[in-house]
Amino acid sequence: MSLFISQTRVFLAATALRLILLVYGGWQDAHSAVKYTDIDYMVFTDAARYVAKGQSPYDRDTYRYTPLLAWMLVPTAWEGAAPWSTLTFAFGKALFALSDVLAGWLVVKLLVRCYRFPVERALRYVAAVWLWNPMVANISTRGSSEGLLGVLVAALLWATLTRKPIVAGLILGLAVHFKIYPFIYGVSILWWWDAERDGSASANSNLVSRVIGFITPSRVKLTLAALASFVALNVVMYVQYGTPFLQHTFFHHLTRIDHRHNFSPYSTLLYLSAAGGAETHFEALAFIPQLVLVVIALPLVLAKKSLTTAMLAQTFTFVTFNKVCTSQYFLWYLILLPFYLPSSTLIQKPALGFTAAILWVLGQALWLSQGYNLEFLGLPEFVPGLFLAGLFFFAVNVWILGIIVRDGGEGAGEIEGESEDRKLR
Amino acid sequence: MKRRITYIQRDNAPFEPQQAVLTSKSLSVRDLDAAREDRITVGLNELPQELRAILEQSHELHLRWASEQPYEAVAPFASRVSPGLHVHYTPLNTDTSSEALCSLLRTIVGPAEGAQYKDCSKPEDSFITPPLLSTRFASSASLQYHTRLELLQPLNKWIRDSVCAQGKDASECHARADSLLSADSVDIDYDSISHALTVSSLWTSPPSGGWTEQLDKPVSSANQLEIGILGAEPGLEPEEIKMGGLLAVVGEDKKLKPTMFSFPSRHQPLLEPATYTVSFASPTGLHPTMSISMPRSSLRRPPAPSDSTCALHTYLTLPSTIFGDQYQLGTTDILFLESHNLVALRALSGEMDLEAPDWVVDRWGSTWLLELATPLEDPSDSSNWTVTVPLHLRYLPPSETGYRTAHVPWPVVFWACTSEEGTKMGVNPFDRTNLGWDGLFGPRTMFYQLQPNSEHLLEDIEVPVLRLEDGGLFRSKNIELGTCLVITLGFFWVLWRLARVAWSSGTASKPSKPSKPVHDKKE
Repeated sequence: MSLFISQTRVFLAATALRLILLVYGGWQDAHSAVKYTDIDYMVFTDAARYVAKGQSPYDRDTYRYTPLLAWMLVPTAWEGAAPWSTLTFAFGKALFALSDVLAGWLVVKLLVRCYRFPVERALRYVAAVWLWNPMVANISTRGSSEGLLGVLVAALLWATLTRKPIVAGLILGLAVHFKIYPFIYGVSILWWWDAERDGSASANSNLVSRVIGFITPSRVKLTLAALASFVALNVVMYVQYGTPFLQHTFFHHLTRIDHRHNFSPYSTLLYLSAAGGAETHFEALAFIPQLVLVVIALPLVLAKKSLTTAMLAQTFTFVTFNKVCTSQYFLWYLILLPFYLPSSTLIQKPALGFTAAILWVLGQALWLSQGYNLEFLGLPEFVPGLFLAGLFFFAVNVWILGIIVRDGGEGAGEIEGESEDRKLR
Repeated sequence: MKRRITYIQRDNAPFEPQQAVLTSKSLSVRDLDAAREDRITVGLNELPQELRAILEQSHELHLRWASEQPYEAVAPFASRVSPGLHVHYTPLNTDTSSEALCSLLRTIVGPAEGAQYKDCSKPEDSFITPPLLSTRFASSASLQYHTRLELLQPLNKWIRDSVCAQGKDASECHARADSLLSADSVDIDYDSISHALTVSSLWTSPPSGGWTEQLDKPVSSANQLEIGILGAEPGLEPEEIKMGGLLAVVGEDKKLKPTMFSFPSRHQPLLEPATYTVSFASPTGLHPTMSISMPRSSLRRPPAPSDSTCALHTYLTLPSTIFGDQYQLGTTDILFLESHNLVALRALSGEMDLEAPDWVVDRWGSTWLLELATPLEDPSDSSNWTVTVPLHLRYLPPSETGYRTAHVPWPVVFWACTSEEGTKMGVNPFDRTNLGWDGLFGPRTMFYQLQPNSEHLLEDIEVPVLRLEDGGLFRSKNIELGTCLVITLGFFWVLWRLARVAWSSGTASKPSKPSKPVHDKKE
């Protein structure tokens, strides 16, 4: 275990893993008709090329992201001779991979500083879940932008746990602009950040003073900063690119008909309904269970007990109850696992942990085998195969969610010695 | 009304003078072994009101229909289109196109129940816009439509009911309408400059025993009937076709006049047999790959002038159920292109949405012009040369069997070669344009068609869809209720877990318990 003692070694290994994958990816792209690079990355780089020519990134079909992403990748559009062009092409992947490593570094720092983990223990969990996780390294080096979300969420947590409301707000606004879903963290952080956590006593008993007491300087600063960065970014993008920006970055995600098969339990119903075969249209109400849990119930019950576990449960619920779910969504909650896992019953009771892991993998395997039969063999596996596999996977996720909620209630992932922190102020 | 009937005899076909007898009233042919083109030109005022109204709003309208049955395209009728009905249309006024055109189309297509017919209410919404090389010298119409049309029965019925009902000689009209049913290809052309409608039908082979018919002098002196019995062979120049034989205008000429003439032709025959076959590798899944396979002997350079550049192409006409990914096919990645024996995607138009299911797609489909790689000549290699085009299927509506069929017409495969500056293709009396693909090349390009080699020029792909059996366990009601039930249970399970937490310790932060073991016991 001496390997874990050195931070340098863990991060060097994580960086080396990504470098090797980047070089390998470049080699495979250059030597095989089957590309290592993700299709999405071709969309980003095409959009970056449009941006570099002064055009709109939305001139590229299926570019459904903030123009920020295309701007960041403008170096990939720089023309040049052979070795140079390979390097510029990989710029975005390198950026995503670097974000990964940075996100991991932030999580280690937080675990050590706020959760009082010994460095070695923090490194062990972060390496296992994130830094050395081949799936994470693979996704970012193939050119998927989810790594950027990882670093934004880690930074949001860092700013929150180190009590920097304005910075946290600015990051939150940026993250929501980038990929709508982080707005759910805003609710948890706001509820968590009570007067007590700002260091002032709160012995209010009557309702009116409790309501007034809810409005603390930190909460106001956080909210205003988040709104300011979110609105400012959107105004800048709207002025620059007009309606296509709003349409593709936001409205598309609200109005799309996700009729294609995916892990979501709604998948079959959505296909049926989009094709005009459904009578009741339950799916129109899908946002109710999802948002009631994610925006109200989970933050209210868990955020003050353990902020990171509440955020993990929120993300897990959001993905599980979403109308569309693909494997990149699983990265969203991976970054939060190192805070929760060390004190969770999934680790403390290995039998439970193994059962959860096996059921989750089984759910995936069942679904994927049906998906393979459909996609590649052309068998009509929508029912019962994909339908039941989707519902089973949902059930497994909900059961695991129940464990996370119970653990969160027990204070798993709670900041150790926070009460001492408070005493010090 | 003008009518021109041309019999084209192959090189070795027998011909005796007594097989064609001209009198002052008629021409009789007997047992004539020939291909036959029947071209009728009609003035606007001779047409039924329904059709006239459409044409009066058209700048140009070109219909091309080709049979799904194989036929041998002979010079000078060597050009081909994919089977089905193609419509090329430019409205007179760009703002208002004819809704009547759509309703006429529905009549002549007569879509059957469950047919993958993309209905149109207005051409702007359902037609696609082909790429124009130059808007100023547009060589192709501005709107394009295609649908599968196996048989011309509905067109025949429409002509009988509305065109023949107007004319004086109904039985003659019925006979001509019925003759369409056996044609291999039918072209209908109109443009606002000539103000005339031309219907050209082509039979590439005679009925058994040969053509035996008596063609009478038109009753009205305003009408004309011209007949040619001709043979075609390569001209002196590589871009020319030379034709010779007998011509007569029935009722005017006393005897058949021998003739010999030559002209540059954009559609040229290949002198050696050259064929291709189209198939989809099984299983097709949701991402079928179209294979176009050719014997290497079919890929010798066409007999174009030695200084011209030639390239092999294919033109795909895909219904909305199946589509290409413009970014995948439009790549410049040599490895990808080489692995499919493609050179480049040259032109594309139509329904390109990568995500839309078929039922939200309004337009009929898409067209793709791809340049194909050709092998280096190697006489010892007898394997076929295969080009592959990766395609994708759209989601189709649920069905009772779990499958729906996507009908994919065979693409056309041809060489395109440059010809000399100043060659005027338009002087060809048998010239044929507005085929969809010809307008994507310069006006002096020469085309050499490969012949499709199959009994049926259409591939059927079984597309897996949601299986909905009436009364089955997984009928739509049960899918709806099942999903709803499972999600509600999941929702309440999480709520109950949360309620237990809130019940036992409230929503406030946990009081710190200094004795709580937080580290794993192993450490």
